[in-house]
Amino acid sequence: MNLYQPHLVRVEEMVDETIDTRTFKLSFEDAAVAERFDFKAGQFGEYSVFGAGECTFCIASPPTRKGYIEASFKAVGKATRAMRRLNVGDTMGFRGPYGNYFPLDQMMGKNILFIAGGIGLAPVRCVIWNTLDLRDRFRDVTIVYGARSVADLVYKRELEEWAGRSDVILHQCVDPGGETPDWKGDICFVPTLVEKLAPSPHDTYAIVCGPPIMITFTLPLLEKLGFASDHVYTTLENRMKCGLGKCGRCNVGSVYVCKDGPVFTAAQLKTLPPEY
Amino acid sequence: MNTKRMLSRANLDALIRDLVAAGTVVVAPTHSSGQERTGVTYGQVQSPDEVLLDGPQPIRPLKGVVFPPTEALFRWRQEKSAVKIEEVPTGFKETVVIGARPCDAAGLEVVDCVMGWDFRDELWFGRRQATTVLAMACTTCDESCFCTAVGLSPTSTRGADWFLTPVDGGFEVDVVTPKGEAILDRYKARCPEAGGAAPSRTAGLEQQVRANLDVRPDRIRGWLETHFDDPLWKRVALRCHGCGACAFVCPSCHCFDIVDEPDGAASGTRRRNWDSCQTALFTLHGSGHNPRKDQTARFRQRIMHKFSIYPARFGEVLCTGCGRCVRVCAAGMDLVSILAEIDRAAQGGGEA
Repeated sequence: MNLYQPHLVRVEEMVDETIDTRTFKLSFEDAAVAERFDFKAGQFGEYSVFGAGECTFCIASPPTRKGYIEASFKAVGKATRAMRRLNVGDTMGFRGPYGNYFPLDQMMGKNILFIAGGIGLAPVRCVIWNTLDLRDRFRDVTIVYGARSVADLVYKRELEEWAGRSDVILHQCVDPGGETPDWKGDICFVPTLVEKLAPSPHDTYAIVCGPPIMITFTLPLLEKLGFASDHVYTTLENRMKCGLGKCGRCNVGSVYVCKDGPVFTAAQLKTLPPEY
Repeated sequence: MNTKRMLSRANLDALIRDLVAAGTVVVAPTHSSGQERTGVTYGQVQSPDEVLLDGPQPIRPLKGVVFPPTEALFRWRQEKSAVKIEEVPTGFKETVVIGARPCDAAGLEVVDCVMGWDFRDELWFGRRQATTVLAMACTTCDESCFCTAVGLSPTSTRGADWFLTPVDGGFEVDVVTPKGEAILDRYKARCPEAGGAAPSRTAGLEQQVRANLDVRPDRIRGWLETHFDDPLWKRVALRCHGCGACAFVCPSCHCFDIVDEPDGAASGTRRRNWDSCQTALFTLHGSGHNPRKDQTARFRQRIMHKFSIYPARFGEVLCTGCGRCVRVCAAGMDLVSILAEIDRAAQGGGEA
């Protein structure tokens, strides 16, 4: 079996997060693979539909939940549109896990501030559940999440669950014009909400993921609030084919997103050319 | 191992016949598709008459022997709701390359680094393992050759298992690697020990290549590391069409795409195909965002990858100075003059 040959996975469940974003729960067909499959929060894989090709996403479920993986995707290209046509029970391909991960061991005993925008909640959700499944090992868990509109919020059922938990602080916002009459969260952009909340950098790690424009405004803000740039993590999502450091397209300067990333600190981002 | 041996032209022809008779795939510079008008390239030959050792540099590099332009990664078959995967073999037919140019032989060794770090590409190394490279010193060069600027020369033995130096009446043979030794053991009778030193026909070539371009890769790398936003990039890249021909003729470009080729609804092949960082789609995200949004960024990536990124990661320049990208470019992009300009700028002189 060469490096490019995927494991076979079966679509067990699917949930429509928004009108164009769907989550698959996938199980490995080979019991031996399922048994030994392990990963860390932040790693990614190459998902494929036979006949349509491969596409790259993070693993959106936490490593604390064994026996399956989840992937959330938008139908934007050939492979994701083909994924969208699959039904429960269908077989697809998965290669991975690849790349580095969020150093959760290092974050134990500290506060964690999650900041996510739109579908950027997918990689963050993996870390959130990883943290919540080991809740007693972390201090305050704060989640700041926003999307263009109420309809664009993903994992709505889980947002409700987090909102109801006493050990999670959840703040939500939607862009102006994206609210509904019964929207109870803020109406602003994610960086604006972060600025308003002014979280304390004391003993806190921040994990930030979202569209480039959100990252661009959020990172300087965290710096202004006093977060050390090596305590702020994000994940980059450059286009990839192999995921193995060979096909030559995900690099940002001399850094390969597939091998040195996808998880980077704000301090590392500062040293990279703007090609992500 | 270091004893010089002599391979007469008649014995080389006999060696080729021996190899073909033994079922070994023999690859050598030859007329592409048997037609003179389509130029000389590396191709499989059946007889010595097809081998063109004195011709021009083959128009395509040797890399296709180890890394085919398109190659199957696996096949799949849909059976009712189940999918079956058929592996492709990673054992390959023994292949002997005769008359590889030093720049092409070196290219294989340079690309080994990226194919082997951490994850080992069995398809690349399977073919590498099966392939013995009998490289030959160049006897001609043109104004686009610049191997001496990247640490090689018309007589460098990198990537070669045997190194043939053309002398009167044939070739002097240096056996460079254990793999070369193994071939020698089988065909010793064809290569008696050399009597005295024969005059080589490569004299003077190195100076000629050096006159084309005399730069220092470390100096160029230093400049590249600090000049991401230099105006040179836009000025130089404006004429680039983004066709990617430079990558396809390059001995060290190794970027690839992975695509599915269905043969119907129920089966097909996943393949990898050569790709090029010069095309606009190469880095395009699903969202429509493109981190390398214009040709300036894409051309800069090509130069950075070869002369800064690869050296930083692997300690090797990702260029063997073959000059093909210069010869093939429809827009006249000239790596020789670009490198000369960067090197001048790195020394604090000239525009860049």
